[in-house]
Amino acid sequence: MLEVSGLRKVYEGRRVEALREVTFQVDAGELVCVIGPSGCGKTTLLRCVAGLMPPTAGSVKVAGAAVTGPPPRMAVVFQEYGRSLFPWMTVRQNVELPLKEKKVPAVRRNELVAGSLAAVGLADVADAHPWQLSGGMQQRVAIARAVAYEPQVLLMDEPFAAVDAQTRADLEDLILVLWRDMGVTTLFVTHDIDEAVYLGQRVIVLSGSPTVVMEDLKIDLPPERDQLTTRSLSRFADLRGHLYAQIQRARGDR
Amino acid sequence: MTGPETVRRKDVRATRTGRTALRVLTVAGVPALLVISWQLYSTVSENFYVPAPGRVARAFAETWFSERLLDDVLPSLARLLAGYALAAAAGVGLGVAIGLSPRLRAAAEPVLEFFRAIPPPVLVPLIMLLAGIGDGTKVLVIASGCVWPILLNTVEGVRALDEVLSDTCRMYGVRDLSRLRHLVLPGAGPQIMAGLRQALSIGIILMVISEMFASSSGLGFTIVLFQRGFQIPEMWSGILLLGLLGYVLALLLRRLERRVLSWHHGRGVGRA
Repeated sequence: MLEVSGLRKVYEGRRVEALREVTFQVDAGELVCVIGPSGCGKTTLLRCVAGLMPPTAGSVKVAGAAVTGPPPRMAVVFQEYGRSLFPWMTVRQNVELPLKEKKVPAVRRNELVAGSLAAVGLADVADAHPWQLSGGMQQRVAIARAVAYEPQVLLMDEPFAAVDAQTRADLEDLILVLWRDMGVTTLFVTHDIDEAVYLGQRVIVLSGSPTVVMEDLKIDLPPERDQLTTRSLSRFADLRGHLYAQIQRARGDR
Repeated sequence: MTGPETVRRKDVRATRTGRTALRVLTVAGVPALLVISWQLYSTVSENFYVPAPGRVARAFAETWFSERLLDDVLPSLARLLAGYALAAAAGVGLGVAIGLSPRLRAAAEPVLEFFRAIPPPVLVPLIMLLAGIGDGTKVLVIASGCVWPILLNTVEGVRALDEVLSDTCRMYGVRDLSRLRHLVLPGAGPQIMAGLRQALSIGIILMVISEMFASSSGLGFTIVLFQRGFQIPEMWSGILLLGLLGYVLALLLRRLERRVLSWHHGRGVGRA
């Protein structure tokens, strides 16, 4: 579904090589997490995959088609929830706007908006403005907007980095439920090793700059995940420990 | 049992009355003080050019609640609004175009700064030569002064649009006119409004100045006429009227802003 091959990105002005050679692929319906030491170009990678930024070399393909700009059936949830929602629109309008642009008929649009807001537990604040909600709720709005868009591929750029721990656990479980229900191919970028192991079917480890794929690790945990039981499995601890060591190595290489 | 209850209610009422009185005093205090000192000065000085406030008030009623309202005040207001609307349309339109295009901005910015630096009143003689001495000239003078703060603020507002929001629009296929309507204009809204506010006071100044040259009606014309005819209380009343006019127009604009930018003000309060 998503193929990234030989992706390289050099920022011209600063002559900084953010990505050297990144290659991986994500199958249809898979949830893959990307982790790496801070400053390793995770966001650059995501922006290239999203078609928001042209790579210097290499290619990104979604369902076989090369990405040259934002693909029509891709949705992104950004880290900065406070800046990715339109403050002059209500929650409902925020979720609805992309559907209007897609020319979804009004009846279906209402269904999708109501359905996705209910799915993230925000049906009762549909007429509030985003800035009247807590950070976690704002990020739920952004998630609802992505879900209502019915994407083939869902990209998430450290979506929970700016919310508190309790909210974060809730949102992780929300993502797992939505992903399972929709079967949407998901690429989840995070700097949190625990989160990557808990959510992912696979975890891709990026090296420190200049960035390459260091490891593509299958997460062989039972498919049903639970904050308490999954996190207390000894296998969880093994995977976590292994990834921690990898990240330390990646940082040491720099 | 009702005793203390009634007393307390009376207390509440008393403090509420007290608070209202205090508010009235705060709002009306300084104007009252000004009028009183004006009165005192006019009694003591006998200066012909500084009539007592009572005389000015009488002149105000006699002068402006008459056909002058139709012959002078309304034409002035009409020119002001026409020039202001013209400036708003041109300023926002050009401002959005320049703000969205870095190349256009690089080319236009020095020129814009130059034009803005020219004091608008000096354009009056020039525009009069080019466009005659009719209403068109006055509207043009007003527009040519009002357009700069609107234009420059719009450019700034559009340039400062949030990148994440911009990326969000790109991801979800919000482009062209839709982008303009849902992202660019509301995003730059607070800045555009700031420009409109600055432009309003410039517009009133230019309205008066343009009417002082080669004119046969309008507030500026009338005030000069009174001055030349030594109708001093009438002249003062004209100045008073201009002050009131500016005050009311600014109030209306603030009302409009509260409505259009309710999300902006709401967010500010939410953060505080």
